[in-house]
Amino acid sequence: MSVTDLLRRSELFYELTPEQIDQVIGLGQEKVYNTRDIIIEEGDQSNEIYVVCKGMVEVEVSQGTVPDVPGRLQVNPIVRLGRGQVFGEMGLIDRGARSATVRCAEDGTTLFVIPRQAMVNLCDGDHDIGYLVMRNIAADLSFKLRHRNLQMGVAGG
Amino acid sequence: MIYKVSYVVTGQMHPGEIVNQDLPPEIGDRITLGGEMFEVVEIIDLAPPRGDFAYLHATCKPV
Repeated sequence: MSVTDLLRRSELFYELTPEQIDQVIGLGQEKVYNTRDIIIEEGDQSNEIYVVCKGMVEVEVSQGTVPDVPGRLQVNPIVRLGRGQVFGEMGLIDRGARSATVRCAEDGTTLFVIPRQAMVNLCDGDHDIGYLVMRNIAADLSFKLRHRNLQMGVAGG
Repeated sequence: MIYKVSYVVTGQMHPGEIVNQDLPPEIGDRITLGGEMFEVVEIIDLAPPRGDFAYLHATCKPV
């Protein structure tokens, strides 16, 4: 399956025309990762957004320090994201630091990486694309929040 | 149709997964999440469909 086909099957590009998707593809590139590779790290600057074309990544957040191990952060995985999923999108919206660390969870995981500023420029310059991308990001964030709420519910949180 | 599925696991601390699938999960399916086997015990619509996208939530238990 081509990158165009894969991206068309990602919710981020829902309702974009093939020509508009080609414009987005022109901004980014594919990168391949192996298990345990750190893709983004909590606290870092947000410079890219990512779409999972193939494979799996794991999102984890630090929650205090490990008991009896001063300075070592306790890290908890909060979700695994597979084909078609987007991450790094919060930084596109608010330019804040990375809220989580994302590690590769399967060898050969292929991501489509889009530089943040190029994506912002495209959205600012073409409001049709900008509206669709921002609406789709909002829908994706809503889905992730629903997932998290249900996850906390079954865990008794 | 593209099925965007939220998988969560009961009975243990597991991060669950979000993934796009070509086919919807069904109750009784055995699936692998993070190298462990689980069984789907409940499926609900998480949100109304949008175009080709359907939004499902699947609750799983360890096998």
